[in-house]
Amino acid sequence: MNQTLDRRRLLATAALGGMVGATGLGSLAPDAAFAAEASAIEPGLPDPNFAEGRISKISGNMLLVTGSDTVLHSIRVTDGTSIWKLRPTTFDRVATGDGLYARGVRLPDGTLAADSVWVNIVNVHGHITSVGRNVLHLDHKGQRIVAHVVPQVSAAVYNGAPAVSDLSLLRVGRHVQVLGAWHPDTNEIDIATVYAAA
Amino acid sequence: MVALRGEVSWFCCGSAWGPCGTAGGGACGTCRSANYQHAWPNTSDACLAITRPDACGVTGMSRRGCGFRHYTTNLCNGARVGTTIADCGPQTDLFCGERTCCGSACGSNRIIDLTPAAYSAIASLTTGLRPCSVDTV
Repeated sequence: MNQTLDRRRLLATAALGGMVGATGLGSLAPDAAFAAEASAIEPGLPDPNFAEGRISKISGNMLLVTGSDTVLHSIRVTDGTSIWKLRPTTFDRVATGDGLYARGVRLPDGTLAADSVWVNIVNVHGHITSVGRNVLHLDHKGQRIVAHVVPQVSAAVYNGAPAVSDLSLLRVGRHVQVLGAWHPDTNEIDIATVYAAA
Repeated sequence: MVALRGEVSWFCCGSAWGPCGTAGGGACGTCRSANYQHAWPNTSDACLAITRPDACGVTGMSRRGCGFRHYTTNLCNGARVGTTIADCGPQTDLFCGERTCCGSACGSNRIIDLTPAAYSAIASLTTGLRPCSVDTV
């Protein structure tokens, strides 16, 4: 069975009025959820089933999003939508002003029925300029970023080894990649995972 | 080109929010986060001097220009996406020897960065890094 296609069809159905709970879809491992159909999108072109931007309004289960290119998106969140905001979370944690990337199924009325919504997610590279108590200061292309360590959430991956909660091996001058969640309208982020070379 | 095996990550470009707001259109001037595009470490001599995949022992990385098509397969699930070159990167030498695995499927060294639209077509953005193979057909 093509699990991804089935899931997306169900989401689209739900968005069109026949609400279907995610529990009926079973649990999908992160990679399994993105497996399956080869993309039909021409390389180089925009994907109509993808949207990015900042939330300008939340109305019911709809997110009204202003794209960075000023295009407006209506994104429908269903019971089956997976939402991430530093960690897997629920729709009530999403706020006006948040940035997002969303993937789903574009419906005939132009609405995107969301399969996944990643709120405030960033993936930045930088050099560590200083290390404080539960905070890293990064130089990201000449821009200062304050990266907060969040207890029970933040993890480090050292040279591809399994993630650990101990971030004490991070040193000033090291180059890191930080996957995290942006604090809107600031230069601060919360760390989900920091990747550091050996 | 023989399929190249390594690691894939994602990056933002074009008009954007947050720390990505300064990213711009990339080395090719055309990069957009919502497009199926990628960064490639060998787009020019100047690019290669920065990314230095050779410093990590990565061979077979052909010189390719803006707009060239590559196809990236996520080795964790077999999902594949086609993209065009829009930027120079990733900076392979900063993570020399890094290895990412899904069970027995592994990739070493960063060889390609996809835009969020492209990466999210084959993996969740929360994964950050995946073993991959890259080819041209």
